[in-house]
Amino acid sequence: MRRSAQGRGRLLIIILIVTALFLITLDLRGVGVLEGARQASQTILSPFQRAGTVVLSPIKNLISDITRLGRTRSQIEKLRADNAKLKAELLNRKDADAQLDQLKSVLDLAGTAGFKVINARVISQGSSQSFSQTITVDIGSNAGIKKNMTVLSKFGIAGVVKDVYSNSALISLATDPSFRIGVRIAGSQQIGILSGRGNRSANLQLIDNLTTVQVGDILLSRGSISNRPFVPGVPVGYITAVDNSPGAIAQSATVYLYTDFSALSVVAVVLGAPANNPGDVLVPLKPQPTPIPTVTIYVTPSPTPTN
Amino acid sequence: MIRRQISTALPIYIGVFIFQEAVVNQFHLPGGGFSLILIFSLIWAILSSPELAALGGFIAGLLMDLSQSSSGPIGQWTLLMIAACCAVSYLGSGSESLSGNPLGFTFLTTSAIFLVEIAYLTTGALLGVTVGGFTQTLITLIGITIWSLLVTPLVLPIFSRLHAFTFNTRSML
Repeated sequence: MRRSAQGRGRLLIIILIVTALFLITLDLRGVGVLEGARQASQTILSPFQRAGTVVLSPIKNLISDITRLGRTRSQIEKLRADNAKLKAELLNRKDADAQLDQLKSVLDLAGTAGFKVINARVISQGSSQSFSQTITVDIGSNAGIKKNMTVLSKFGIAGVVKDVYSNSALISLATDPSFRIGVRIAGSQQIGILSGRGNRSANLQLIDNLTTVQVGDILLSRGSISNRPFVPGVPVGYITAVDNSPGAIAQSATVYLYTDFSALSVVAVVLGAPANNPGDVLVPLKPQPTPIPTVTIYVTPSPTPTN
Repeated sequence: MIRRQISTALPIYIGVFIFQEAVVNQFHLPGGGFSLILIFSLIWAILSSPELAALGGFIAGLLMDLSQSSSGPIGQWTLLMIAACCAVSYLGSGSESLSGNPLGFTFLTTSAIFLVEIAYLTTGALLGVTVGGFTQTLITLIGITIWSLLVTPLVLPIFSRLHAFTFNTRSML
């Protein structure tokens, strides 16, 4: 009797393993039913994620403030006195202001290049249990979003639309290890391929090995056919280190991405771009150093000596 | 018997998965954060018989595969979770020192999470899933393990009592 129960248990485990292997095989062969299941699950989850965003916003702000405390301690000390009288008002408006700022900047960026965009709120950060870097936004196919559309932040490229559901969309961030984008260097027009590395620094592989790049060179998106997945001319990042290893087939460099991925709350999805390439019009301005005033003291010697 | 038990447990698995996707994933925790569904299903498996643990692992894995943040093919997490849940269930039922006290539970759960993530990376590499640079992957792996070590003792009494309540047994912890 007991042996029979053990046998049934083993059979059950074998059936489950075979089912899992069957699912992997079906998915790798591109069977649409499984992709539909993933889409359906996201459609069910998006209202919960939306509710979670609304409910958890104050807590997220609090945690964000705590985690940034060490880095910005000196700045906080300086601003504390000024902020005291505005604290109550600021607490209420902080979330809205941050989103408004991102929204304004992203619209400025898109407007300068003439991109037709639609704004979206980030409703969920993807779990990193699968080592991917994604976010979910609150608009989907009902708002005209399609797969492989460019996603902008207020600083430049944020990512690309990976999957679209009726009322939400999954964005693959530029930090995602599978993210690839064709870029060109502003000014010199050298081209290369930038790939995500899981954090804010990315890897640049230049196509032409004869030309040289320099630290500080700004990278813009090169654009794709029919502007999908990438529209041209959007700032991506700047070069922080160049690898000039002798004998390397292609020159490579490390790039610091403009977008602050830890603070993304509003993004814009590019629905359309003008026929003309915006060129280098979106290149961010370099910060101007503040001149230090010099003080000159003139001393005139007195005619009679003093004791 | 198993059918009745799993139909009782299914809404709990779905509830934890929704909580993971709607609440836990909202926080951009340093080091990759933690996976509540992973912690829950492993604790649940330690407390269950191997057959029930395998079924629970199948459900949890399938839900994790259906998550939009899953980059691997559907079935990859399912396969790994069946194996992981079965393994911890055998270990848990076989050793009182491991399963009978909170420290043993935490150690077993965290070790299983570490190993299942390594298994995910390995099978992902075989199946062509891009997981990123070595350093970042290592940071995420260590981050998830440390977070799990911190979170498991906090959620262990809740999940243990939930398991006891669901199956009308006495809570071990």
